[in-house]
Amino acid sequence: MQLDWSTFWLEIINFLILVWLLKRFLYKPVLAAVAQRRAAIEKQLADAQTRQEEAKALEGQYRNRLGEWEKEKETLYTRLNEEIEVRREKMTAALEESLSQEREKAHVLEERRLKELQEKAREAGGRAGVEFTARLFARIASPELESKLTAVILEDLRKLPEAQMAALRAGSASNGRPIRVTSAFPISDVQRDAVSAVLKQISGNGATIEFCEDRGLLAGLRISIGPWIVHGNLKDELGFFSEMAGHGGE
Amino acid sequence: MDGQLPAVALFRLGHLFVSDTVVTTWGLMLFLFLLCRGHNRGFHTERTAWEITREGLVLAIQEAIDAVLPEAGKRVLPFVGTLWIYLAAANLTGILPGLHSPTADLSTTTGLALLVFLSVHWYGIQIHGLRRYLRHYVEPNPILLPFQIVSELSRTVALAVRLFGNMFSLEMAALLVIIVAGFLAPIPILFLHIIEALVQAYIFGMLALVYIAGGIQSLGTKALAKEG
Repeated sequence: MQLDWSTFWLEIINFLILVWLLKRFLYKPVLAAVAQRRAAIEKQLADAQTRQEEAKALEGQYRNRLGEWEKEKETLYTRLNEEIEVRREKMTAALEESLSQEREKAHVLEERRLKELQEKAREAGGRAGVEFTARLFARIASPELESKLTAVILEDLRKLPEAQMAALRAGSASNGRPIRVTSAFPISDVQRDAVSAVLKQISGNGATIEFCEDRGLLAGLRISIGPWIVHGNLKDELGFFSEMAGHGGE
Repeated sequence: MDGQLPAVALFRLGHLFVSDTVVTTWGLMLFLFLLCRGHNRGFHTERTAWEITREGLVLAIQEAIDAVLPEAGKRVLPFVGTLWIYLAAANLTGILPGLHSPTADLSTTTGLALLVFLSVHWYGIQIHGLRRYLRHYVEPNPILLPFQIVSELSRTVALAVRLFGNMFSLEMAALLVIIVAGFLAPIPILFLHIIEALVQAYIFGMLALVYIAGGIQSLGTKALAKEG
């Protein structure tokens, strides 16, 4: 244990040199690197904080924008629904009106068609009736029936109103031609006298009367007095009925 | 551990004799310089394991200093940090065959203790100013001045002798065990040497830090606050 002054002083110098060396090559670089790293980390943290705040702000903006879009969407949706409702009501009304018109038209057409069918049925019925009646009349036509019809005609002629009787008389006088009496069967003398008496009573004693036969009349008489014709036979009656059936019974 | 613990003068440098202690110290200085020399890499570059270790070492030292002296941690870091690093390396040198620890030489520990003694006043004066710093020796009562001086001197001597005594006795014990017990028996002693070397380095550096902190903090922290 001895103190060597050379070693003492040299160790002091050595240590001071070592302090300088380590300060220069260890502490300063390391602390500078640490400080630089710390500053960089703080800068990154600050940047991250700033970005986070910006992101939050953007998120808020986007949320607000989304909310506005949602409201706008709801408004537009409501408006669209209203427009759709209005348009649907209009279209429904137009469709109903169109349907009503179509229905009315169809109803009219149906009525017309039914009317035509009824008309055709009536005509067919009339024709059938006329044919049936014609066949019936053809079967029952006989001189006896004609006698009865002649009696009825004469009875009607006698009961003619005065005005019609005057018209017949005027027509017979103006024509100048004889009165033609057509029968389906040969008329007996008694009936011929009775007919002549009635016709002379109507047209005057000077009138000439012609008698002829036509089997087409089935039974009864057809008397032509000038322009007037008195239909008192089954054929003309059937024609009359047939015409009535063709005109809807008017 | 060649059985020659006392320092041996190897050659002469002017008026100074260069002993093996000094040469060992130079070797340690070169070794530490080569270890600590490195590039100051940027933040984004990947660091090597040694760089991470180096940073961890420096940051651990700074954290330990800041725990005791937060007001002037950066200022005293080079001195106290170098004490720890140098003493740890120097104490562990004794493990290597053919070398002995520079700290097993009283000249080295005395020189370091003197540096600690001077650094206490250096930092105190630097921070508080000469008059203000000297005033704390006579406060609260000038009668305490002799005791303060005795305390300063005794703790410096204790600092020097403690480290020297521990390392010298440790190497001497290891030498005796090798001589007496042979080859394998010293292994536990070597482990003890490592632990003791590190503990003594820590104690010396921590005491130096405490002395420096005592010199700085004896007048309160107002002056430090003024300095910013």
